[in-house]
Amino acid sequence: MPRPSPRRIARTIAAAVALTIAGSTLAGCASASSADTVQFHLSKPEAIPYFRELIQQYNASQSDVNVVLDTSSNLQAGFLRGNPPDLGLLNYNMEMARFMERGALSDLSDMPESERILPEVQDLVDQYATYPGRTSVLPYSVMAASVIYNQEIFDEQGLEVPETWDELIAVCDQLTAAGITPFYGTFRDPWTVAQGWFDYTVGGEVDVAGFYDEMNELGTEVGPQSPVSFEKTFAQPVDRMQQLITDYANPDAASRTYGDGNLAFAEGEAAMYMQGPWALGEIAKTSPDLALGTFPLPMTDDADDLEVRVNIDLAAWIPEASDNQEGARAFLSYLFEQDVMDEYNAAQLGYGTTVDAAPVTDPRILGMKDYYDEAAFYQGASKAIPLTIPTENYTQSIALGDDPAGVLRTLDADWARLALRQ
Amino acid sequence: MTTVIAAPPPPTRDTVPPPSPSGKRRVEPIYYAFLLPSLVIFTLAITVPAIIGIFFSFTNSIGFGDWDFIGLVNYAALFSDPAILQSYLFTFSFAVTTVIVVNVLAFLLAVGLTARIRAKTALRTVFVIPMVVSGIIIAYVFSFLFSNSVPALGQALGIDWLSESILANPDLAWIGIVIVTAWQSIPGTLLIYIAGLLSIPGDVYEAADLDGASKRQQLWRITLPLVSGYVVINVILGLKNFLNAYDIIIGLTNGGPGTATRSIPMTIITGFTGGDYAYQMANAAMFFIIVVVISVIQLRISRGRNSV
Repeated sequence: MPRPSPRRIARTIAAAVALTIAGSTLAGCASASSADTVQFHLSKPEAIPYFRELIQQYNASQSDVNVVLDTSSNLQAGFLRGNPPDLGLLNYNMEMARFMERGALSDLSDMPESERILPEVQDLVDQYATYPGRTSVLPYSVMAASVIYNQEIFDEQGLEVPETWDELIAVCDQLTAAGITPFYGTFRDPWTVAQGWFDYTVGGEVDVAGFYDEMNELGTEVGPQSPVSFEKTFAQPVDRMQQLITDYANPDAASRTYGDGNLAFAEGEAAMYMQGPWALGEIAKTSPDLALGTFPLPMTDDADDLEVRVNIDLAAWIPEASDNQEGARAFLSYLFEQDVMDEYNAAQLGYGTTVDAAPVTDPRILGMKDYYDEAAFYQGASKAIPLTIPTENYTQSIALGDDPAGVLRTLDADWARLALRQ
Repeated sequence: MTTVIAAPPPPTRDTVPPPSPSGKRRVEPIYYAFLLPSLVIFTLAITVPAIIGIFFSFTNSIGFGDWDFIGLVNYAALFSDPAILQSYLFTFSFAVTTVIVVNVLAFLLAVGLTARIRAKTALRTVFVIPMVVSGIIIAYVFSFLFSNSVPALGQALGIDWLSESILANPDLAWIGIVIVTAWQSIPGTLLIYIAGLLSIPGDVYEAADLDGASKRQQLWRITLPLVSGYVVINVILGLKNFLNAYDIIIGLTNGGPGTATRSIPMTIITGFTGGDYAYQMANAAMFFIIVVVISVIQLRISRGRNSV
């Protein structure tokens, strides 16, 4: 047998590589959506069964569009390859805003559905980023979050829902005197600190959207000398957050997780809980009949300052790169039919995003309705910081006793550094 | 890989095929065919993405969309980023500590398990079990133990420092990670040491006995020098694994409390999830260079050992 020359080996390898690449490209084509298929991306676990059923009904009701549910593919990779889903319905946050900001999402302002969205809810989308001349993202469901409280404990102690900081402290003191833990903390899970303790205290006092407008403008100049900064603007609310934790949270909060917290709160181990409506379903698994209510955390001396934290739990968008925008728009219109939206929001304890949405009725979230209706809400301060900065971990270290000023200074420095390189 | 192959005692003379008269050995093409699939996959899945990643580390890309070349800005920013520097400090201290803990304990266990003891096979099986459980599951189980069982024990016994979860203490959380990582890594290291100990011929010890060497002298003068090749492999493999620590940390502390236990791979991953792609590619490139340097140094040392 002749010895193969190095060149022949090289050629064989090259051919094999070429073949592999060709093969993978073909596979890519096969999985891409064809003309009448709409790839529908939805990843919120609790919502999947509801939409799976909805899609079956929709596919059976007409023959133009065939909707396929996609619950798991990687969005970033999809956009990167130019093969994103045709329609997305998911949580809207900083990460999604990036796609919009760079023009990857198509304009939906000519659709009648965009006219029905509440303007103050549409504003929430713009707080993250905008693309000139486009309405690319339509909010579908909003989650309002504030302090969850145990009504039985409040009634037994003869307590009213506090509306100012002093009233809050008085409530906590009275609970402590009665041997009841005022707040249940679950600091083992950093996100619970950021979502509840940090966002509620900051949002109760600071104009979050205005603050980040200024921070984005300042960029690299954020620091000890700048007119606004985390260290300067957040100093009082974050100090108060630490005060609430030190004085009124369960002593073992540092080692408790979100799951521990839901169980403990369901069993009446504390009077108040800094969590969102998603925790209500978990609590109900243990104590289905427990009477719970919600109220915005009072951080000032004026009851008019009260606001609730909101996030856009689901929002719809259609990528520019979709090859079936027409089909996607048809299904989007179906999703935005009012009774479809109302049924979803009622089931998931969400607030409607349209002018004609049905009012919420669940007593557990009714406490936030007036604030929501008056647009007295803010998006979480921790959610406006790019994920590459470990905000949740920073807030956790404050909860565990680190000096707030030092941690906020680190946050300022990270912000300025990120602005420098992006 | 070469160290793994080089480590067992070299084959005896007569098993090596004699060189062909012409001085050149003919290579069967089938060997290339064997290599080809892994070569192609390695190139496509590792080498090409690595080169693309290094390319992007000189840009301000966030993973998609428009980008510009920004030269060495990302690299300069790395060196002034306390979070990155802290993750390097943590990762290297953690890796070195864990390598020492794992190797000392695994070696002692291996000596015990190769001695003439009862139920040797059963005991070996027991000690190897942790190896087959996935890291993230081990982490969640230990997380529960550290947060609930151990503090409960501490409270019952009235021991103060045990009454609180060490994972919630920024100064002690790393110890929890070392313990769990060691628990999972000892079996693999142990198996290599057992193989090494079994390869030492018994007559060496008989001769030592006749010369009046004590057990301790035998350990230091005979056993350790004869398994030194295995020590080198275990240290290299261990260091490589522990520098890449990820799943156990995610399950135990998620980088917390605060940022006390964020490892380098955890910060690199945020480049994808947090839209800081180019910057973390620069971090990955730097990490790669450091690991290469360490590996080369270790290889040098191990070559020196084997040729003795």
